[in-house]
Amino acid sequence: MVDLEKMRTIAKETVSRDDVRYLIGWRQGTYGFRVSPHFVEGPDEADKLIFSPLCSNNLATYLTLTEKLPVPRGEQPDSRKIAVMVKGCDSRAVVQQLIEKGIERDRVFVIGCPCEGVLDLKKVEEKFPGVLSPVQVEWSGDKIIFTLADGVKEVPKGEVLAKKCLSCRYPNPVMSDITLWDEVKPLGDGKYEDVKEMEEKNPQERWSFWKDKFSSCIRCYSCRNVCPMCYCDDCVLDRLNPQWINRSSNISENSAFQLARAFHLAGRCIECGECERVCPVDIPLMAINRKLAKEVREQYEFEPGLDPESKPFQSSYRPNDKEDFIL
Amino acid sequence: MSEQFQPNVVAFLCNWCSYAGADLAGTSRIKYPHNLNVIRVMCSGRVNPLFVINALQQGADGVLVSGCHPGDCHYMEGNFYARRRFSLMNELLEYVGVEPGRFNMSWVSASEGAKWKDVVAGVVEKAKEAGPFDQFRRNKINW
Repeated sequence: MVDLEKMRTIAKETVSRDDVRYLIGWRQGTYGFRVSPHFVEGPDEADKLIFSPLCSNNLATYLTLTEKLPVPRGEQPDSRKIAVMVKGCDSRAVVQQLIEKGIERDRVFVIGCPCEGVLDLKKVEEKFPGVLSPVQVEWSGDKIIFTLADGVKEVPKGEVLAKKCLSCRYPNPVMSDITLWDEVKPLGDGKYEDVKEMEEKNPQERWSFWKDKFSSCIRCYSCRNVCPMCYCDDCVLDRLNPQWINRSSNISENSAFQLARAFHLAGRCIECGECERVCPVDIPLMAINRKLAKEVREQYEFEPGLDPESKPFQSSYRPNDKEDFIL
Repeated sequence: MSEQFQPNVVAFLCNWCSYAGADLAGTSRIKYPHNLNVIRVMCSGRVNPLFVINALQQGADGVLVSGCHPGDCHYMEGNFYARRRFSLMNELLEYVGVEPGRFNMSWVSASEGAKWKDVVAGVVEKAKEAGPFDQFRRNKINW
């Protein structure tokens, strides 16, 4: 059960420690169902922290976004930890960053929040249109309770939860320094039904589907920026020399962009669904990511973001990997 | 049109095996289709999957990546990494609707001139069947 008091007490204790720089959590957004990331730098700011079905942001993204300013001569770099609150999927992002040595284990303090599934804002806003004042939302068994200005409403989970949560196998953090409350049962079994459905179509049908989606891409790069696994300093997608992908937004460049983005996440994507959530033109990006995740899981028995000691998928091999596609 | 269509196939060959194999096919005077544009790389592990996407964008109708047989890599393990990568790239291209047979990978050693001929004939045949690639080819810019 979610216990906000305990969460805030632990957050206060954590930010008061000498070896913690700041804590990243969630707070109520400015309007409606919005939730913002909250950077807690002192104990008095911890009272704003919340955890509700609206907290869909993956805060692991901010671990690698920290600006690394040059250290003045004679001074030591700030080696304090960053505390971060994670749901199950976010914790896999942290583990995958550790595997890739994107962050160091002794620079991060992980506070685990077992999660019963977050909401898909598009579905919620369809159900309750035009809500502008902040709303309280809670889990209650297999229902979600909305406390709106005009009364309390109960909605079954299946109608408003995000798609990734309905098939989630890791609702509990796979790695954490503190877990805030009791573990919860996984909602799904991680089957790739949607991917299989797409695979059964013929190439022309698949291309006409993706052509439609790719041609609506406006190349805002939100999917890359929000992704906790996309943290290269020099990203190949906007490198100018050599320029792999032109900046013009047409079907050729958009397809190349989407394929390159998806491929760079092959064997790394932890299926947090952030790319799909932030996409302004609703491209089903997770359908591509999940296809690659399915191949990696079924053919190589590999899952990213579970064991910090394992090796990254694309920089390891087994001599008996499958070869049936080779002439 | 289709009987006249000559596909444009880009082949990335590893310096130590496949390029030498193609050379052997040449010096042995083995005839094979002329639709191939060979790009020599030092190892199949050097071929970035973006090369494949970029080749398709810039006018290739088929792409072939060829390296040493597993275990024979000059750099010990380069082709093992390439195999993992291109297995996924192959699945990804098929998933978005590029015809199977556009992308090919093969192992050809320096002594397999005859096999090289068969591989090329197969790849060109598949590219001819699939027809001109027009899914996401880059348009020529007319200033």
